[in-house]
Amino acid sequence: MLTMNNLVKHRGNQEILSGISFRARPGRVTGFLGPNGAGKSSTLRILLGLDRATSGSALINGKTFAELHNPLATVGAALDGFGAHRMRTGRAHLRWIARAAGLSNSRVEEVLKIVGLTNAADKRVGKYSLGMGRRLGMAAALLGDPKILILDEPVNGLDPEGIRWIRTFLRERAQSGNTVLLSSHLMGELAETVDDVVIIKHGTIVADGTLEEVIGNHSTLEKAFFALTSEHAGEVV
Amino acid sequence: MRAFNAELSKLFSLPGIWLAFLIGAFAPAVITALDSIVQKEEIIAGVSTRLSEVGYIGLALGVQGVIILGVLAVSSEYLTESSESGGGAQITTSLTAVASRLHFLLAKAGAVTVISILLCIVAIMTTVSTTYLILGEYTPAFEWSRLIGAVCYWTFTALLALGITLLTKNGIIPLAVLMINSSVVSFSVLLYKVTKLALYLPDRAGLEMFMFTSDTPFTGSLFDRFHNPFTGGLIMFTWVVVIFIIAAIVFHRRDVAA
Repeated sequence: MLTMNNLVKHRGNQEILSGISFRARPGRVTGFLGPNGAGKSSTLRILLGLDRATSGSALINGKTFAELHNPLATVGAALDGFGAHRMRTGRAHLRWIARAAGLSNSRVEEVLKIVGLTNAADKRVGKYSLGMGRRLGMAAALLGDPKILILDEPVNGLDPEGIRWIRTFLRERAQSGNTVLLSSHLMGELAETVDDVVIIKHGTIVADGTLEEVIGNHSTLEKAFFALTSEHAGEVV
Repeated sequence: MRAFNAELSKLFSLPGIWLAFLIGAFAPAVITALDSIVQKEEIIAGVSTRLSEVGYIGLALGVQGVIILGVLAVSSEYLTESSESGGGAQITTSLTAVASRLHFLLAKAGAVTVISILLCIVAIMTTVSTTYLILGEYTPAFEWSRLIGAVCYWTFTALLALGITLLTKNGIIPLAVLMINSSVVSFSVLLYKVTKLALYLPDRAGLEMFMFTSDTPFTGSLFDRFHNPFTGGLIMFTWVVVIFIIAAIVFHRRDVAA
């Protein structure tokens, strides 16, 4: 369970998050939607202890990230970029992460296989395509076989096959009782993947509920999204 | 311990580190070889005034290897990926793999310390062998206490490089400043022309752990003994601790996105 309680974040004079609260529950895929710059990444970074909230709390199973004993076994995260040094090979990157979690090299081979990177594992990360880099990020998130996954724009840069793979994979994770929180601005993809939807705009939550609840009277999630986030809400339907 | 293993694994899988190993292991021997060849005649004639520095001069100037090590250990975390890939950096992965930033930092410092010690031991072996090869029976005896001093000097230098890079996040400035300072133009030599406080700068004080061993009283020359080896080491260690604490506080408070 992921719980955001009244998160506020200031950077300089700017208020990036103005008191946002929502939950991501086990057994469900929660989609975190919003236009670019709405505060999606900031929220996820605070949740992962990378940035500090000005006030409020972001908890993982009731604890802050810094309180987790073995974070990789609790929560797997893939944020912007590959999160890897470009001169290292994909396999070497996953191996140091495995060391940090006390996992064996055979687990590294397992996740390489899961994300379909086995053949590219000895290539330097700098030579990876965007899609391969995203798969590497997913592999790192999956290493500790965590019950919670936090993914920032996971389908960005993936080819159609990769997108379908992610969708099926995340559905399976949720069905076996895991918590999945993913941010995206791609409505079509999200509508087919998520159970719950949280929409953020200018650092405020404008909708929070099941997919059906958020779509409401609109014909698609996309239309609901634009109705909720457009500067002239109500005019564009 | 896991975080420490992860840091070792990171360092050994970084190609740039092999350059640090290569320089660290052989640069002192090369400098020593050149110095010994130049001095050989004077040493054999028994008129060399720098007999006590034979070999150690290489260890003093050849500290570049561990500077690269200390800088790379941190700068590799902050190296930004191409904008095409989303402009992330490894630090996000590191801090989601180890929850406590202090643990992360201690693990990194621990890995750099262990590698510096080992690298200095290798450098001592290559340097001492080179000296024997060139000077043969005229080689002055190497004292254990001074060699241990050299190991401390290397380790402290690496930790200073690590701490400073943690503050700058970028490796270029600390790398340039520290490497030039330890080889071409020493900041403490320049500052010494202005004030004697320069003798308390980390590099100058640290060198007293194994250099400037002549027993002549302090004449005002920068190359005379001013501190005893223990005090010199203590001064340098204090610098390491202070810079490390500042870096740790800044690092602890800093948003990764900032």
